[in-house]
Amino acid sequence: MKGLLEQFSNWDFYLYGSFTGGEPGGLLLNIILAVLSLSISFVFGVLLGYSRLSSRRYVRYPCIAYIEFVRSTPLIMIIFWSYFFLPYVVGKDIPIFWSAVISLCIYAAAYQAEIVRAGILAVPGGQLEAALATGMSRYQSMKHVVLPQAFKMMLPSFVSFFVSLFKDTSTTYIIGLIELTQTGVIISQREPDKMYAAYLSMAIGYFVICFSLSHLARRLEKRIGVFDLESYRPEATRDEFMLLPKRKRDGQVSLAPDSASK
Amino acid sequence: MMITGVKITLLLFVVTTITSLFLGTIIAIMRISRIKILRISGTLYVEIFRNIPGLFWLLFFFFVFPELLPFGLGEKLNEYIYYPVVAGIMGLTVDNASYVSDILRSGRLTIPHGQRDAAISTGLSRVQQYLYVLLPQMYRATLPPLGTRMVHNFKNTSLCMAITAPELTWATQQIESLTFRGVEATAIATIFYVFLALLMFLMVIMLEKRLKIDISSITRSRA
Repeated sequence: MKGLLEQFSNWDFYLYGSFTGGEPGGLLLNIILAVLSLSISFVFGVLLGYSRLSSRRYVRYPCIAYIEFVRSTPLIMIIFWSYFFLPYVVGKDIPIFWSAVISLCIYAAAYQAEIVRAGILAVPGGQLEAALATGMSRYQSMKHVVLPQAFKMMLPSFVSFFVSLFKDTSTTYIIGLIELTQTGVIISQREPDKMYAAYLSMAIGYFVICFSLSHLARRLEKRIGVFDLESYRPEATRDEFMLLPKRKRDGQVSLAPDSASK
Repeated sequence: MMITGVKITLLLFVVTTITSLFLGTIIAIMRISRIKILRISGTLYVEIFRNIPGLFWLLFFFFVFPELLPFGLGEKLNEYIYYPVVAGIMGLTVDNASYVSDILRSGRLTIPHGQRDAAISTGLSRVQQYLYVLLPQMYRATLPPLGTRMVHNFKNTSLCMAITAPELTWATQQIESLTFRGVEATAIATIFYVFLALLMFLMVIMLEKRLKIDISSITRSRA
């Protein structure tokens, strides 16, 4: 118990490392990593998720390939690729921090693309049709009608994805970034007899943030409606909801009046 | 070295899948039971293990767990040559079980009340109710998320390199440091992971198609 109290005197290391004197570390670094990679990969996620629904095969298939490839690679592998081999490709050294951010972005973009895709599919098809019928272009109807509704539905899963991304930032421990896990391990190795205390402080750091955020996600889910990424099935909805002109077959009006609106 | 790595990775995956399904089922049953203490402790378990990264649990079981054991059992464990693998199994199991139990619990909510009433009225005991009526339906209803979770679990076995368990990722790093052939080794490892994970995704989809119950047909026949 005493050891635990002594550990808390190291709280500044756990919370922000040597931020005041130099680089951020500890929990702050985890948060920075997660927020930065989430926001950078958001752009790519939206692009990927939307183009995955495209009716053009040469757009759709590369996106599917990318998403499925990243989804089935462990994060560590991506981190190793960007840590060891990206410098060769670029030709100069990349700081550890940026290679961590790059790998987290690659990783997060695929998952966010899935969220975006599922969110767009969750908007009833009639919305898009109605928007197109009022004479909006495809871009306008996506921007003003479909995406706002989709984002609203995606919000809970974005929050819970943020939680999981936040937990995954602990993986950067392996390439030696001084984030919360690394801090805890360093401190615990400095004082081996109080190891459990260091680990407990580490656990508290992660728990507080993840717990509050996952509760936020749950509350949002209750307010906005259930939307479960985990139960996503690749082909269940593909044909029914394909966004671009699929219905021509039935002899109905084409859904792509892009050229008409020019 | 790669072959050993593949073997250890597969061993970790298979063992943790079985143990975490088992543990997850127990916790899911605890969380839906009527006894308050069981329910609270189950919820506590899930909240704690879900909100702390899996890597933490691996490190915890590797470094801290032996210290907490009484009677010098910890030193024996530390000397045990396969302890990294054992710690990896424990860490992955407790982490994965929390997700599994959450998924299973949501599966329980999809089963109509009548199923349980029917099980009671046929005279099944409480254990039998779960074993023969509720659990099979829970697994079936939650097959897609469970499958996704297991693929996650498979990917998470790569985290065990942090505790020097000699699995595939660790082997690639070892090869890198011994022969500087890291690129080839990592490429092979990546392909292995991707191949197996995609195979698992496919298997889940096929299994799901096979085990699907057409709920609408049941309700229609009743009406």
